[in-house]
Amino acid sequence: MTAMIWMEGIHKTYRLGEVDVSVLKGIDLTIEEGDYVAIMGASGSGKSTLMNIMGCLDRPSAGHYVLEGQNLTTLSNEGLAYVRNQRIGFVFQQFNLLSRSTALENVMLPMVYAGISRRQRQQRAAAALQRVGLGDRMGNRPSQLSGGQQQRVAIARALVNRPALVLADEPTGALDTQTSYEVMALLTELNDQGITVIIVTHEPDIAAQTHRIIHVQDGLLQGEARNHGRTSYPAD
Amino acid sequence: MAIAALWSNKLRTALTMLGVIIGITAVIAVTSVGQGVQSQTEANLQGLGADILQVRPGSASSGNVSQGSGSATTLTWDDAQAIGSQVQVAGSVSAYLQQTFQVVYGQNNTSTTILGTDTTYPMVNNLTMQSGRFFTADELTQAQSVVVIGPTLRDELLGVGAEAVGEKIRIQGQRYSVVGVANVKGSQGRQNPDEQAYVPLTNMSARLVGNNALSGIAVQGISVKVSAQDQLEAADFQITNLLRVRHSIYPARGDQDDFQISSAANLVETLSSTVGLFTVMVVAIAGISLVVGGIGIANIMLVSVVERTREIGIRKAIGATNQAILSQFLAEAIAISAAGGFLGVGLGVAIARLAASLFRFPFVVSLWAIGLGVGLSFVIGIVAGVIPARSAAKLDPIVALRSD
Ligand SMILES: Nc1ncnc2c1ncn2[C@@H]1O[C@H](COP(=O)(O)OP(=O)(O)O)[C@@H](O)[C@H]1O
Ligand SMILES: [Mg+2]
Repeated sequence: MTAMIWMEGIHKTYRLGEVDVSVLKGIDLTIEEGDYVAIMGASGSGKSTLMNIMGCLDRPSAGHYVLEGQNLTTLSNEGLAYVRNQRIGFVFQQFNLLSRSTALENVMLPMVYAGISRRQRQQRAAAALQRVGLGDRMGNRPSQLSGGQQQRVAIARALVNRPALVLADEPTGALDTQTSYEVMALLTELNDQGITVIIVTHEPDIAAQTHRIIHVQDGLLQGEARNHGRTSYPAD
Repeated sequence: MAIAALWSNKLRTALTMLGVIIGITAVIAVTSVGQGVQSQTEANLQGLGADILQVRPGSASSGNVSQGSGSATTLTWDDAQAIGSQVQVAGSVSAYLQQTFQVVYGQNNTSTTILGTDTTYPMVNNLTMQSGRFFTADELTQAQSVVVIGPTLRDELLGVGAEAVGEKIRIQGQRYSVVGVANVKGSQGRQNPDEQAYVPLTNMSARLVGNNALSGIAVQGISVKVSAQDQLEAADFQITNLLRVRHSIYPARGDQDDFQISSAANLVETLSSTVGLFTVMVVAIAGISLVVGGIGIANIMLVSVVERTREIGIRKAIGATNQAILSQFLAEAIAISAAGGFLGVGLGVAIARLAASLFRFPFVVSLWAIGLGVGLSFVIGIVAGVIPARSAAKLDPIVALRSD
């Protein structure tokens, strides 16, 4: 099985005035295709920074990153935008929907940048919203939706371009327990369909629903655990 | 997409457009009005005759072409007759006085222009008669109180199409017999010959205006129809010399001419250049408004980029390239500017149209001005949008997403 993600010696250093702040201090990580991974760790340990590098939103200061066999370290900004659009779906803690656009328009947006025709965009966005159970809320703006509903719109937007990898940075962080479980059920469903899903979370019971838990501490990986309770456990 | 973002901020967008709207409106309105006025005046002056020279009293340097009262008028009917007999290229010559008087017939009265002139007037000015006749040489020399009236004046005073010959009308209280009615000539700008009346020059000088010449009969102008249009310059030269001799003017001694000669042709030229200059000035002012409008758009786009940093981050996170973001913001700037441009064109055309109907000149839409206005508004949009759009495109997706 090819690795979805292969990272070696990933460093991220921010320069704050005169001092360099080292946030990631050499991460070596391999994530297999189809895996379901939780990243845990204290606040400020570098989880989001790592996710952003995985998602091609940010570039490492040093190290190598290979996604689906493609070396991204040297890829141009345009190339990274293409990878984000075609291969990756993002889900954020704060949903990050366009507030002036309807649910349908939000879900259509990734396809705008993929150059898909308007008619097809509408059809596929509507199908994606139906899939997350929001078929009757397509004309609503984010302010007219509950938090859980907004996160489901974000998931629909993440999956509409049929990505290989879905990255969710604390997707349930702003939700109550009930809606958290609904959102997790959707992400689990995506993983069941073969999409590699990586989530950042603080909550052990959320992490427990994944296959593999990685601990980050102070910019380094601090061990990991396999979840044996799951049946669809990927072979090593 | 660009339009939607603008629509959600209607008031701000409208205010931003204002500079471009004002600028383009001014360009369109002024060029249209200018062209209308120019074509109107040209038509009028053509009506005056391109082969006619006008001699008026007054020096060119003082610009005094008005028939000023007070000082003695130096141009006389004798000058006109001398031009007629001594200037070979002068085909026909006609002198005139002109003033507005009250004209009465029965209960009807109106105030109109009375021309005191000689018997060559119809020939010089292509005036033909509808009924009756023009006054005769005898009536002229004897200063008789006879009058030829224009058709509109006849309609107003005696009734539409009424038989006027033989009737008596009063001009400034004096009785005049109508001997003829002129044919319709059509309005020529401010003056409508169809509303005028013509009396013998001698009579007008003696009974209506009073003579202020030292000798002979003072006139306000002499029209000289040259024998051929290419003789205009020769006629100008010969008339100048003749009048200098008659008026004892020696330029070598530093004397100034006490008359000036103009032709319809050079009037058209002066007027065109005046209108042209005016147009250039207003267009320059409009240009400033457009620059200010462009700066306004650039400013509002910069604000918009800052306000929408997070939106830009979201778009980049889901795959928008720098190019796509650049295009989006550039399109917004162009949309604002072009919308302002189209509104300005509409408003400018409306103003030109209103002015044309109000001041009675032909309504001319200048297509090149519209093209220029629309094109200019696009260019302004591009120029104003490029810096904000580039700053939006260059935003780091992470930095943009973290902003709030
Ligand atoms: N752009 C930045 N400039 C400077 N420091 C940053 C920047 N982004 C993140 N950091 C710092 O990096 C550390 C890790 O941040 P983050 O990856 O968001 O942590 P986590 O998601 O695990 O809470 C924090 O201390 C944070 O302040
Ligand atoms: Mg975080």
